[in-house]
Amino acid sequence: MLPTYKLPIGPQHPAIKEAFHFTFELDGEVIVDVKPRLGNVHRGIEKGMEFRSWNQGTFLVERICGICNTPHTTCYALTVEEIYGVEAPPRAQYIRTIINELNRIHSHMLWIGILGMELGFWSYFMYVWRDRERVMDIIEMITGNRVNTATIIIGGVAYDIPPHMEGPIRRAMDYLEERMKFYKQVLLNEPTIRARTENVGVLSKSKARELCAVGPVARASDLKTDVRFDEPYCSYGEVSFNLVTYPYCDVYARALVRADETLESIEIVRQCLDKMPSGPIKLRLPRAPPPGEAVNRVEAPRGELLHYCKSDGKEKPYRFKARTPTLANIPALCEMLKGYYIADIPAIVASIDPCYCCTERMTFVDVNTGKRWVWTYNELRNYSLKWYKANGGGRK
Amino acid sequence: MLAAKESLMVEELKRHLGDKITKIEIVRARRVNVEVPPGAHRDVIKFLRDNFDVKHLVTITGVDLGDCIELIYHLSPDNRRWLLNVRTKVPKDNPVIESIVDIIPGATMYEREVYDLLGVTFEGHPNLERLVLPDDWPEGEYPLRKDWKPKEV
Repeated sequence: MLPTYKLPIGPQHPAIKEAFHFTFELDGEVIVDVKPRLGNVHRGIEKGMEFRSWNQGTFLVERICGICNTPHTTCYALTVEEIYGVEAPPRAQYIRTIINELNRIHSHMLWIGILGMELGFWSYFMYVWRDRERVMDIIEMITGNRVNTATIIIGGVAYDIPPHMEGPIRRAMDYLEERMKFYKQVLLNEPTIRARTENVGVLSKSKARELCAVGPVARASDLKTDVRFDEPYCSYGEVSFNLVTYPYCDVYARALVRADETLESIEIVRQCLDKMPSGPIKLRLPRAPPPGEAVNRVEAPRGELLHYCKSDGKEKPYRFKARTPTLANIPALCEMLKGYYIADIPAIVASIDPCYCCTERMTFVDVNTGKRWVWTYNELRNYSLKWYKANGGGRK
Repeated sequence: MLAAKESLMVEELKRHLGDKITKIEIVRARRVNVEVPPGAHRDVIKFLRDNFDVKHLVTITGVDLGDCIELIYHLSPDNRRWLLNVRTKVPKDNPVIESIVDIIPGATMYEREVYDLLGVTFEGHPNLERLVLPDDWPEGEYPLRKDWKPKEV
């Protein structure tokens, strides 16, 4: 028998476009052991928070993660409000819920597209991402930004949802519901996807519990855990939705959990629009909270997120701590990889949904004259549509 | 309105491990704080795991309080409905504490994170290595301690 050997993968592009390093110990093509090495994108945000005022901190926590920025600001705002001893007004809580669910829809759709990409199913990726633009447009309409929206602030929200936006949001939700039902059918019926994901990356229920897995990874291993249910925050206690779990424990189950959750999120957005009370959307608070501490949890698209804040009565936090869901799922990921082939690595690594960032505006430089100009998103979009039409094809 | 389960747990903890607990309080619904001297945290966590199904460790927070480092183990029961903060303090001149990896295997990453950023050594951890700081980071510098300041570039 041959001895085992080590195969380093990363930090450049280990299955996903994000810096992360794995050392795999292999027996032939089978993974025997795996050692992760983090820290390639460690930015020292926890220390950085100690040098900023409480309000400035809102915008720094938003940048912890590009994709699930809203849960971070929600969790931070809830935690700081608890130290102040106040609660945001009811209308603000509903707007927070809507923004959080829109964020979940775009994050889950992004992931479902990525799954297609990892399996080499590029048309699935392109279609899902095309439809994801619809929810990005809605987020941009409400907040003025696609990614870092700076909507949730300490004491409420920065932007209201006026009545004239209700129609476009509902229309987008109807469209997304129809499309997501179709994409779920593809997941259920497409033999290539099923062959690559079924019984791959199995994480048993007992292992998931033992290794403290969170979010869709835990729910795909049949653990009934979702902070929105376990400890309702914002207005999750006032809307009804289902906790999605699957008993299959594999990559396929993780895909189904996310597809079903997207449909649940669409339902939550509709219910919030129905029930939204009128009233103020933010509170005026003193610059610094009283001395004290608080800890809160929020369900981010990737799972349970925890923020801890300690105040000593000054204008800056004494200590800020965040525990993101991806870190919680890394021990589970290492367990999932053991016993599978090298070829399964991309699908399994992507199945815990680690996150990366995307950009939206472009700068052009004319090399001959040195002139620079910037295109807005709409100009870029119109150009691409025009080009697509002129060159055959195009959206109906 | 406090849930009955939390009060029951506080009573049970007082009855069985009363001599090992410095302070115990229900902060609000779904939040319980338990303060213990270092060393006793293992007994408390083990007792909670065996009797109250507390198997989920959310994370470990380390806070520099000047002469000591406070470690907060944020624990949650199996249904994950509330948070229990087990807090203990280790002196800054000798920051050593026993690991809980054998009780809750999910603690590996969090103990490494605290070791890396605050310099607390966890005795009995299977591979206590750096987690986020680079390999060539100078020994003895712990960025999340209050006396550490970022250098001017």
